[in-house]
Amino acid sequence: MAQNKITILVVEDEVDFRTIMTFWLESKGYSVITASDGRAGVEMVKEKNPDVVFLDLNMFGMDGVEAFKNIRKFNQEIPVIIISAHIGTPRAKEVMSLGVSGIFSKEEDFEKGFALLEIALKGNKKLKGRI
Amino acid sequence: MSPIAIIYIITAVISIVIALVLFNITKLSAQAKMDAERKRKEAQGLNSGSFGNKPLKQAILEEIKDLVDSHQRRQEVSEKLIDTFGKELEKRIDQNTHALSKKYEAIIQEEKHNEEITWKKYKKVLIDKKNTDAVIRSIAEGLVIVDAQGKVIMMNPAAEKLLGVSKKEKMGKSILENLKEEQLVSLVNESQNKDEKEIELVSQKDDTKRTLRASSAVIENENGQSIGMVSVLSDITKQKDLDQLKSNFISNITHELRTPLVAIDKSIALILAKNAGEVSSAQEEFLSIAQRNIKRLSIMINDLLDLSKLEAGKMKVNALPSLIAFVIEESVGSLINWAKTKSINIEKKIENGLPEINIDSDRIIQVLTNLIGNGIKFTPVNGNITVEASLSSEGKAVMISVSDNGVGITPENLPNIFNKFYQAGERVASDINGTGIGLSIVKEIVELHGGKIWVESVKGVGARFIFTLPLK
Repeated sequence: MAQNKITILVVEDEVDFRTIMTFWLESKGYSVITASDGRAGVEMVKEKNPDVVFLDLNMFGMDGVEAFKNIRKFNQEIPVIIISAHIGTPRAKEVMSLGVSGIFSKEEDFEKGFALLEIALKGNKKLKGRI
Repeated sequence: MSPIAIIYIITAVISIVIALVLFNITKLSAQAKMDAERKRKEAQGLNSGSFGNKPLKQAILEEIKDLVDSHQRRQEVSEKLIDTFGKELEKRIDQNTHALSKKYEAIIQEEKHNEEITWKKYKKVLIDKKNTDAVIRSIAEGLVIVDAQGKVIMMNPAAEKLLGVSKKEKMGKSILENLKEEQLVSLVNESQNKDEKEIELVSQKDDTKRTLRASSAVIENENGQSIGMVSVLSDITKQKDLDQLKSNFISNITHELRTPLVAIDKSIALILAKNAGEVSSAQEEFLSIAQRNIKRLSIMINDLLDLSKLEAGKMKVNALPSLIAFVIEESVGSLINWAKTKSINIEKKIENGLPEINIDSDRIIQVLTNLIGNGIKFTPVNGNITVEASLSSEGKAVMISVSDNGVGITPENLPNIFNKFYQAGERVASDINGTGIGLSIVKEIVELHGGKIWVESVKGVGARFIFTLPLK
């Protein structure tokens, strides 16, 4: 299956939520790599060149907004979906205006997250013909 | 001439002279402070022989010239007369002088006494004033008293410090003059209202940034005319900072509470979706219960977060042109499964061709979810909920209502239904509970949009919540 080749990076400092995300995405047939903070996430994008990034907004140290800006410095193509506990915050609005693929609220059902993921994957030029 | 006649004449003359003298004394006695000694000398002057412009002896001799023939006799008579008259006069003057000096002394005494009383009263008033001044000076709150024209008539040191002005500069001048903090202008403008009121004044300058609370009351005289205004100023900067700290704390704690809830919720969701393997029907049922309660907890936490935002004035409305039909669809969609568990039918009646309105659709969905959710809570099994939307009669707003045929609200509960922490009436079912802040948040959100919300209800028949959203 073409999907099996797709690698998703989950950048999330909450270990429990990282585990849940990993389990969920793996259950959908994706290959998942993880990073536990913004800095490590940026490095992971550089090194492993994943197909999509789930990036937590509220992280200690380098947060989602900063990590996104850093990723965009060297990679303008990779779709990034922001994960946030509360999407109404000013920081969430700021990151939306920067051109992320979407925001997945932690309170929403997985279906919504999956819909966002599909849109992001379709928009990824690198994946053309693979999905 | 017979001796009787002589005595008669003498008596007559003495009477005349005494009358004249007494007339003079009466005149003199009008001047109470006149020296008594001087009067005595005057009297002695009379005794030694002067009366009017003529010497006294001469005057007597002339008077008795026709009555007494002998010159020597006339001399004797006149001397005797003078002697008798002198003695009598002296006696009367003494009496008079004594009486007068007594009177004078009494007057002096009384005046002294009055003066003492006045002085005592003055001293007491002075002490009272000093005490009052000291009290006013020592009040930690600023006190400013202005007259009916808004001119300062009193100001304590705390007020000087708070307003950044000196009393000398402000006395008799309008409080507005030379006021460094422009925001304080509202202190006077706001005070046009007769009732006591509190206003908060925030200084914009960074170096003196602080919040003052002014509590003002109009001073009225006995006739009810306003003669000025007294304002008590207090610096509530610290209180505001504490409020901010509290607000930040609530915001942080709700985030911290939400994180584990989300992890639990998502874990259960994964199991229920059978991503982690098969689930028996009993397991599915209990996991559903767990999930439902987690959702409830999340809603409560979100309400608390909203409340802290509203209290801090931080809830912002991101208004974008939206279709109310879509907003209603979203709200009903999220609750339809819950309604089904109670076999409650949700009907939508949306007027065709409603214009787009500028709203924060997430917030209006929150309002509708709350109102419909309440409807589900308070409506028995097999009940009906109707969500309607139409243009208001003036065409200036969209009117949205949520009606149910549930337990309704008692008349005594109606006025308080939108109050914070208020919960109406008895709990009729296990799922009727909550924090009592839902409707207060709903009201705030509607008002932030410039709309109004009200409720109509008959106990036992149902309730209808109506709110408006202005088109512009």
